[in-house]
Formats: sequence, C-alpha cells, structure tokens
Amino acid sequence: MTPSVPQIDLPIPHTSIAGKPELVLKSSQFRKGREEGWLELERLVAVVERQGVRSLTLDELQRLPILYRAALSSLSVARTIALDRNLLLYLENLALRAFLAVYGPRVSALTGLREFFRRDLPHAVRTARWHILIAALALLVGTLAGLMLTLQDEAWFSAFVPSGLSGARGPASTRADLLNKEIFAPWPGAVEAFGVFANVLFSHNSLIGIMTFGLGLAVGIPTIMLTIYQGLTLGAFIALHYNRDLTIEFLGWLSIHGATELSALIMFAAGGLVIAEKILFPGLYSRVENLAMHGRLAAQMAVGGILMLFVAAILEGGFRQLVQSTPLRFAIGFGIGALWLAYFCLSGRTERR
Amino acid sequence: MTLVHERTSQFLEGGRQERRQIVTPEGVPITVSLADHGARVTAFVIDLFIWLLLTLAIYIPIFSVVGYTGGNRIAVSIALFIGFIVRNMYFVYFELAWRGATPGKRLVGLRVIDRSGGPLQPSAVIARNLTREVEAFIPFGILMTWGKTAQGFVDWEQLSIALWLLFFSALPLINRDRMRGGDLIAGTMLISLPKRALLSDLVEKTAKFIFTEQQLRAYGAFELQVLEELLRRPDSADSTRVLNEVCEKICRKIEWATPVPPNDTAMFLREFYTAERAFLEREQLYGKAREDKFSKPKPLVDPNSD
Repeated sequence: MTPSVPQIDLPIPHTSIAGKPELVLKSSQFRKGREEGWLELERLVAVVERQGVRSLTLDELQRLPILYRAALSSLSVARTIALDRNLLLYLENLALRAFLAVYGPRVSALTGLREFFRRDLPHAVRTARWHILIAALALLVGTLAGLMLTLQDEAWFSAFVPSGLSGARGPASTRADLLNKEIFAPWPGAVEAFGVFANVLFSHNSLIGIMTFGLGLAVGIPTIMLTIYQGLTLGAFIALHYNRDLTIEFLGWLSIHGATELSALIMFAAGGLVIAEKILFPGLYSRVENLAMHGRLAAQMAVGGILMLFVAAILEGGFRQLVQSTPLRFAIGFGIGALWLAYFCLSGRTERR
Repeated sequence: MTLVHERTSQFLEGGRQERRQIVTPEGVPITVSLADHGARVTAFVIDLFIWLLLTLAIYIPIFSVVGYTGGNRIAVSIALFIGFIVRNMYFVYFELAWRGATPGKRLVGLRVIDRSGGPLQPSAVIARNLTREVEAFIPFGILMTWGKTAQGFVDWEQLSIALWLLFFSALPLINRDRMRGGDLIAGTMLISLPKRALLSDLVEKTAKFIFTEQQLRAYGAFELQVLEELLRRPDSADSTRVLNEVCEKICRKIEWATPVPPNDTAMFLREFYTAERAFLEREQLYGKAREDKFSKPKPLVDPNSD
C-alpha cells in the first residue's frame, strides 16, 4: 500500500495583516532570530584573527565556543531550509573562520619545543627502531663495500669522495701527511674552528641529511642510495688510513664527532624510510591518508637529525683538534654516543601530563 | 553532495573553484576552497621578501662589526647560519602563532588547515616547513649559481640534484588537492579564506503582486539564486537594463498578463523573488526540492514498489 500523493494547486499561504497580504518565510524568521549571534561571533573571530585568542576578555572567551556551535547548527539548518545564497555562503565562511579560531594550535612555540625534546622526539625514535636498523645496515653495507674496493685499488678513493670533502687527502697522501695535517693537526684557533663548524654544517651534511629525508617521498630508493653512498665515502677513508697503518688513530679522530654525525645521518635516512613505508604499504588507508597520519613522526626524526648535526659540528670544529690523544677521543666519542642512546631510550617514557 | 548555491557560484564567478569538504569535530561538513597556484606563489614571494629583509637586518650589523674583508670567513659562516635559522623559524613561528598563516599568506588570504578537520598540530607545522628546504631553498640555491663551483666549472652533480628536486617542487601541479610534499607529509592543505559579509535579506514584506503556484513552478533554486545575485548588484544604468530584460523574460515565461510599468520593475522582481523563494523553500521542506527549471517533480514513493 502506498499513500497517494495529492497534487493540490494551492495558492501560496498569505497571512493578511491590516488588509495587506504578507508572505512569511521560515528562512527569514530563522535568520531574524539568530542574526545577532552570528554578527557577535564574526566580531570575536575578527579579533582573534587580528590579535590572537589572548586578546579576548574572559567573558568573550566563554562566549566563543558557544557561538561557534550555534553557528554550526545554524549552518546545518540553513542548508535544509534556506535558499538565500548570500546567507548560505556567509554561514559557511563564518563557520570555517570560527572553526579555525576555536581549533587553532594552542601551544606556544616555547612549550611546543620543550614537549618536543622531552617526549615527541625520543618517542618517535623508539617507534622507528626498525627503520633505524635498516638505515644503519645500509650505512654499514656502504662502508664495507667502500672499504673493500678501496683496499684493493686506491683509485676508488677519488671516485667515492667528492673533491670538496677530501681536502687534499687521497692516494697520493703519505702517512706523515695524514698524521700531521689531519689526525693530529694543531688546533687552528677559534676563528678557523668556527669556520670549519659552519662549513661542515651547512655546505655538506645538512644538505645530504635533509635530502636523504625528503627523498623518502620517492619510495625510499634515493634514501637508501644516498645512505650507502655515505658509507662508501666513509669506507674509502678508512681504507686509505688502513693502508698507511693509521686505522686506530683515524677511528679515534673520527669517533669524536662521527658517533653523533653518523647517527644523525641514520636518523635522516630512517625518517625518509618511514615516509617511504607509509607510501608503499598504506594498510587500511589510502596512501595519502596514511602518509598524513605518520608523516609527522618522520619529520620529528628529521628535526632530531638536524639537532645532532648541530652538536656534531660543534664537536668537529671546536673539540676534535683540541684533544690530541686517541684513547681520550674514543672515550669522548663513545661517551657522547652513549648519552644519545640513553636520551632516546629513556626520555619521555612517563605518561603525558 | 553538490549544493545548489555552489553551482550558482560556479555559474556566476566563471572559473571552477576546486572545493573540498572537511568535517569539524562536531560532525558538520564545511566546504573549503583550495588555494590556487598563483595565490600560493604570491604568498611565498612575499614571505621570501620579508625573510630577506629580516636576514639583511641581522647581516648588516654583523658585517659592520666583524668587517667584510678581515674576518670574512666568520661573517659568512654566521650569516649562513642565521639565514638558515631565520627562514626555518619564520614559517614555523608564524604558522603556529597566527593559526596557520604567515604574513604572506595572510595578505593573500590563505590558511593552512589540517586535512581531516582536526586542530593544526605543532608537529605538522614543523613537518611541512622542514621539507620546504628540499623543495625550494636547496634547488633554488643551486640554480642561482647555475651549479658553478668556486673554480668556475659546472658541477653536474649539483645540477642534477637541483633538477631532481625541482620535480618535488612541481608536486602541487600534479595532484588533485594541490598539496606540496610538505603538505603530504604533514597531512595539511592550503585553503583560500576570503571574508564574506552578511548582506540584507531581500525578502519583501508587502505583496503588491500575487503569483499562483503554477507560475512559481516555472523556476528552480538555481534561477532563484541567479536572480538574487542580480538584485544585489549596485544600482547603475547597466544593472537596470539587465533587470528590465530579466523582468520581460520572466513575464513571458510565467505568462504574466498585465505589463509591468518600468518604474515597478525592481519592485516586481523583488516580490517575485520573495514568492518564488517562499514556494521553493516550502517544497524543499516537503522533500520536493527543485534544483532548476528543468527538474521534474520526483514521486515520493516508487510507483512500481507494490
């Protein structure tokens, strides 16, 4: 049984007041009742947009979410009962602006930074432990390959190490050269040390690091390739020194900043791999959705990587040539490495406030 | 769900604006329009300019203290370092403090929002700005020197890196939501957010002209909203001419017998608008929404169901 739909041609309902016919529109009545609230909300939102939430008085602060929810409900109702285009557009715009004012980021930059280093960063590193392992393996594979190839034929050294990085070191260097000009070169003084600091930080490492991270977007292949390439360079250096019987001294010289610097590169690479994994294996979600959910984790690792490069550059520029004893260098290098490990493993494990 | 007023906007404003929906935590969908490429580039250029001024403001005292020639290396190092910190902190700071807008974005009327409709997280802001280094600053930096090394020969390695990275800079051009790499990673998107004013209601109280339902059935919501837009235009010779034409067309369509005197055209149209809107809104409440003049009344129940 279906009820039949009567087709009745009725005149439009006119209510007559004082003899004059008058149309009553539900949408007009609706607007009249709520207009004041919308305009008040618009005023508050404009203040927030210009001067921030803090400039509202306590009263206004309490009104804001109430007016916002009222505007959202008005929008929902207006969509079903009103055909006034200006009204609909206005309400959509107002609701969106109010939404952004109410749900804006509410952490100050300082609190955000503190929370980031106390909890978010160590947590991100712990979450990405498998990616870190893979990145470390890639670096290790590169190092071994660079070591083996350069041991057989030192010509590989110039192929693996860009001229800017080798700094006059190469197959032609003698043992004495390396000892005096590199490993136990005298401390050049603060001016030169700072120059090295900035150069190392900005011309090479951060570029490679951020690229390793960012290219995770290309499903991680460039990330792995760049990491292996870093290993090749490292391996070539080790081989060069091994052939001149300087392995221990070189490793000591390297460890003082290398423990931090190589960890930073691994962090960047692991961040890139997190991105790649989320694109390749989206699971239940679409690739873009999945990336959005986990991309922040990856970015946190990259910020951590930059922090570590920073520390490494200070160590390299400032302290490396100040400490002239190999055992002490090992002690400092591994001591700092252990500190990083402790920080990432232990920090921020308690519940969030 | 395409809303009628969006179709009207597309018709009136010409070019198709890309729109997306976000759902607020209260469960209400809100339509947002994506920022277009021109606006994004403009905002970025403004921000770059401000960044440059800021950096210069810091450089000049440093260079004048350290001296440009003597401690050249230190000065350059400090300058590079400060440039790096300032350009990264600039974007992060403003997108946090100004709720998703840098000065450039604010001038152009753009906002960064969370794609799923949640609050904009600090980690998302950091993520989307860190990748800017890869997408813009590194390739531009390399291309600025055309990959020339200090010795003057072309560094093909650097050039190929730059070209490879420029592919990522072009990401917003090749995806539907115009997201750049940083937006993809952070789960954000850039929308344009102009301010709209609430104009007065066009509904006319007194009714001099009376229309029958048969006459009002001639049109739908789309035509109603185009008429609304015409009535909202400021008075001018041109708008009067258009209104006269529209009035004539409507009279012909609804077979209005008595000719409308020229002085009453605006009045007639406003009353027609009011009556038409009252009719269409009532029909819509009864579940018989008419989208435009071509839409047939849909039977409420399928006649073949029993």
